[in-house]
Amino acid sequence: MGMNESWATIETKSEATQILEQWSEGDKDAPARLMPVVYKELRRRAAEYLRHERTDHTLQATALVHEAYLKLVDQSRANWKGRAHFCSIAAQLMRRILVQHAREHNREKRGGKWEKIYLDETKELGQERPPDLVALDDALQSFASSYPRESEVVELKFFGGMKTNEIAQTLGVSDKTVLRDWSFAKLWLHRELT
Amino acid sequence: MPNERAAKLAELVKSAVEYGPEHWPAFLDEECRFDPALRAEVESLLSHQKHANRFIETPAVHLAAKILIPDRELEPEETVGDYKILSLIGSGGMGDVYLAEDRQLHREVALKIVRRGMDTDALIRRFQREEQILASLNHPNIARLYGGAFTTEGLPYFVMEYVDGPPFDQYCRDKQLSINECLVLFQKVCAAVTYAHQRLVIHRDIKPSNIRVTAEGEPKLLDFGIAKLLDSAISPTGEQVVVTLLTAMTPEYASPEQVRGETMTTSSDVYSLGVVLYKLLTGLSPYRTKTNRPDEIARAITDQNPERPSTTIAKSKSDSPDHPQSGPRRTGDLRNSKWLRGDLDNIILMAIRKEPSRRYESAAQFSADIQRHLDGLPVVARKDTFTYRASKFIRRHRVAVAAAFLILLSLVGGIIATIWQAQAARHEKAKAEDVKNALVRMLNHSNPIAFSPQNNGQKTVKEILDESAKQLENGEFSNQPEIKVELEQIIAECYFGEGDYALGSKYTEEYLDLHRKLYGKNDIKTLAASEWRAFMLFDEGKLTESETDYRKILPLLRNEKRKGNIKAENLADVLNIFGALRRTQGDSKEAELSFRESLALSSQIPKESLYVIGPTRSTLASTLADQGRFEEALQTAREAVAEYRQREETGTPNFSFTLTVLGGFLTEKGDYAEADTTLHEAEAIQRKSLNPSSLWLGDNLRNQAISYYQQGRFAESLSKVTEALKIYRESFGPYYDNYPTAMIINGLILAKTGSPREGEKILREAVKIRTESLPKEHYWVALANSALGECLTIQKRYHEAEPLLLNSYEALKISQGADNPRTTIALQRLFNLYKAWNKPDQAAPYRALLPAPTPPNGASSTM
Repeated sequence: MGMNESWATIETKSEATQILEQWSEGDKDAPARLMPVVYKELRRRAAEYLRHERTDHTLQATALVHEAYLKLVDQSRANWKGRAHFCSIAAQLMRRILVQHAREHNREKRGGKWEKIYLDETKELGQERPPDLVALDDALQSFASSYPRESEVVELKFFGGMKTNEIAQTLGVSDKTVLRDWSFAKLWLHRELT
Repeated sequence: MPNERAAKLAELVKSAVEYGPEHWPAFLDEECRFDPALRAEVESLLSHQKHANRFIETPAVHLAAKILIPDRELEPEETVGDYKILSLIGSGGMGDVYLAEDRQLHREVALKIVRRGMDTDALIRRFQREEQILASLNHPNIARLYGGAFTTEGLPYFVMEYVDGPPFDQYCRDKQLSINECLVLFQKVCAAVTYAHQRLVIHRDIKPSNIRVTAEGEPKLLDFGIAKLLDSAISPTGEQVVVTLLTAMTPEYASPEQVRGETMTTSSDVYSLGVVLYKLLTGLSPYRTKTNRPDEIARAITDQNPERPSTTIAKSKSDSPDHPQSGPRRTGDLRNSKWLRGDLDNIILMAIRKEPSRRYESAAQFSADIQRHLDGLPVVARKDTFTYRASKFIRRHRVAVAAAFLILLSLVGGIIATIWQAQAARHEKAKAEDVKNALVRMLNHSNPIAFSPQNNGQKTVKEILDESAKQLENGEFSNQPEIKVELEQIIAECYFGEGDYALGSKYTEEYLDLHRKLYGKNDIKTLAASEWRAFMLFDEGKLTESETDYRKILPLLRNEKRKGNIKAENLADVLNIFGALRRTQGDSKEAELSFRESLALSSQIPKESLYVIGPTRSTLASTLADQGRFEEALQTAREAVAEYRQREETGTPNFSFTLTVLGGFLTEKGDYAEADTTLHEAEAIQRKSLNPSSLWLGDNLRNQAISYYQQGRFAESLSKVTEALKIYRESFGPYYDNYPTAMIINGLILAKTGSPREGEKILREAVKIRTESLPKEHYWVALANSALGECLTIQKRYHEAEPLLLNSYEALKISQGADNPRTTIALQRLFNLYKAWNKPDQAAPYRALLPAPTPPNGASSTM
């Protein structure tokens, strides 16, 4: 068991690293190839996270993407561009999964299944009523047409669970810019959703 | 590329946020000088800052993690911990249930794996905490919980005894059991529930599919307490609780309090048991809804009145002759409904009353009443006497009017059945309204012209009562005297309930007269009616007249008892009331004798009726304390507690009452540690088994307040006494015996924590209530005065304090004896006065009388 797993990890590790390198070199199909690899690792991390959550709290929910990156990519061959690509893929993936999930739920609701949809425990999303993820996704799309960088900050932070300095590294901007973008995006989206 | 204007907007907003709101006007004046439209846009965005504060701040990753690992069905041969999955045997709102093999112990078990999404942090914590308690439930009719653990994916699961058998209702149908056989089986379920309740575990999700019957014919309850674990998966915001409850639970068997998201108690289980029995016997739910939507069912549970089971059967027969056989074997539907009419109707309806406090006090009593029915004895539910009495016992000044309508039920049957419970009646007002509605309906049916629907709303309770009374006088029921006599009792009770004692007495007299005419002077029915009148007089506060009546009645009752015409518990019940009456009148000696006589009957009382004398020993203890026989009182209270423990009847409200009394004595004695332990044990029971405004809980909190007060823990004391006072106000009012005591603690705490003026106001009010309602030599009056004296001492108003403290000390010395803790308190206060006043000569003799050292904090008791 242990043997198999380490072999598998090495294999995927080189695979992900390779795809990222190809991406940096201009391979347009690279993102599509990276997606399933990242997805698989995220699932593994998620299971790990949920298991650890029970016993201790060593693994932070927010570190999911970061952990996946460290696990998947050979750090000696990594560069910031590869990291940016990886993180944006992971955050996009998370966004898709969440929005897809919310859409399915809403469909069930319309289908007459009498059940209140609560997207998450209030603990997760602050005291405020949790946002409707489908509406948030729509709003974020229209926001992105005028403010692409700001919208990416939201994607990385809210869907990817990344910290300010990680986002700054990924986008190649200063921490302060990330914070300014974030505060503006929040106001814009909040207005859009209320 | 974003256009320039959009970029400018973003820039301005970002900077404005950095500068802070106080700089916005100046900043925008400068930046948007020539562009008011842009300024409006900026301001519009900034206006969201306050509300956007926490918006999307917490990443959705936690949720994503859960979605990434979807639920999946486990395959046979897969292993979970030490268990090998055999097959999927069920799927519910909370998760899937698998049949599995324990590979260590080689036995079959049921694995219940909690669904993803239900596994919140709160659930996990509670799961770990409660698992052991649940695993300790060991009863032949409860499926064992062997333990719990987590799957590798982090989902909690329970390992439970596997019960191979059909659900309860299906078993009864398949085996074609008779009604009586069903009832006997049902009693076993009640016994299991009672067992768990005594260990303070509430099931919370009793329904037929959770009761399985084994091949040997033993019913087993599944999932005990599991529902509570899952409850915590729900966020504490109101609506969601209700909604989620409905999706997770089976609303059909949920109690009104559960549907409303209120505290669930052991009484909620009694309710669910009632619905199980209702559905078993009639094949239908107690409520009629157009659809099966949970929200509609929930509304019906809180708002609709259940139909009498016998009526339901009769209707289902006429509505749909092809109605599938859903109840137990019927040898003709009609006979079945006849069977149900009367006792069983009443028993079931009592179990499913809307207000928890008016249901059976426990599953054991529910079962006992079924036993009485099976034995052909009169059931408790029929006339609601016990509940009525029990509440009267402590709520002498307020008649629970609605209780009387049980009698109406047995008279008018199906017509009224749907009305009498028309309430989510938690308030007297609502009750009065119900009484009104029921009477309106009753009159409507008997005399359709007198009341047209449009003026129904305008009638007051009083008017309706008057109309009903007039109908009786006009000879409405004169050819049915048995009905008339019952109606007179109802009307009398309603007048008492309305506070109209004159008319209440009038109808009581007529009622008694009619009894004499109907049954003769010496008939037991007439005797019971006289006793009822005596009781009403006690209720009205005419203590001497009540006493005179009781003195006539008691010898007659003892005689009937000797002849075997009445049962021991009937006599014990009356003796308890007479004891309470004498105690109120201040004759604790005769009260003591009455309680002792009642207790002496215990050996002749069958087990299921022992609750009649449940609180008697504790009350006896208080009576001894009244007489200053403190050590005996303490000893008796200890015996009362020991009795319950020996009978394994812990976990009942009566036991909690007994503990509360003992805790009170321990406090007085100064054994604070034991007092606190005792009172906390009582509180744990009360929070689970009583509604939150129960007077017994109030008394317990008051005793805790006294204990904390005497330990100098004023903040804790204040919080307890505040809750106690709130309870007293809500459920009784200022004339409850213990209300002034609670006020005294409240007043003294204020006096000692820097608000002596406010404290004095409260203490004067307490003295006033005591003086108005008791004979002036009563020790309660003395204690109130003594407390006021202490408050005045604190304010250095020594001249005013002196007479109060002197007189109350003398009074206590006489009534309680010099060594009684209560007298010592008064003595201590007197000494403190002279010390503060700087009169050492006067202080000296009292110091000599004081027992050894003063308590460290100088605090004094209040009782």
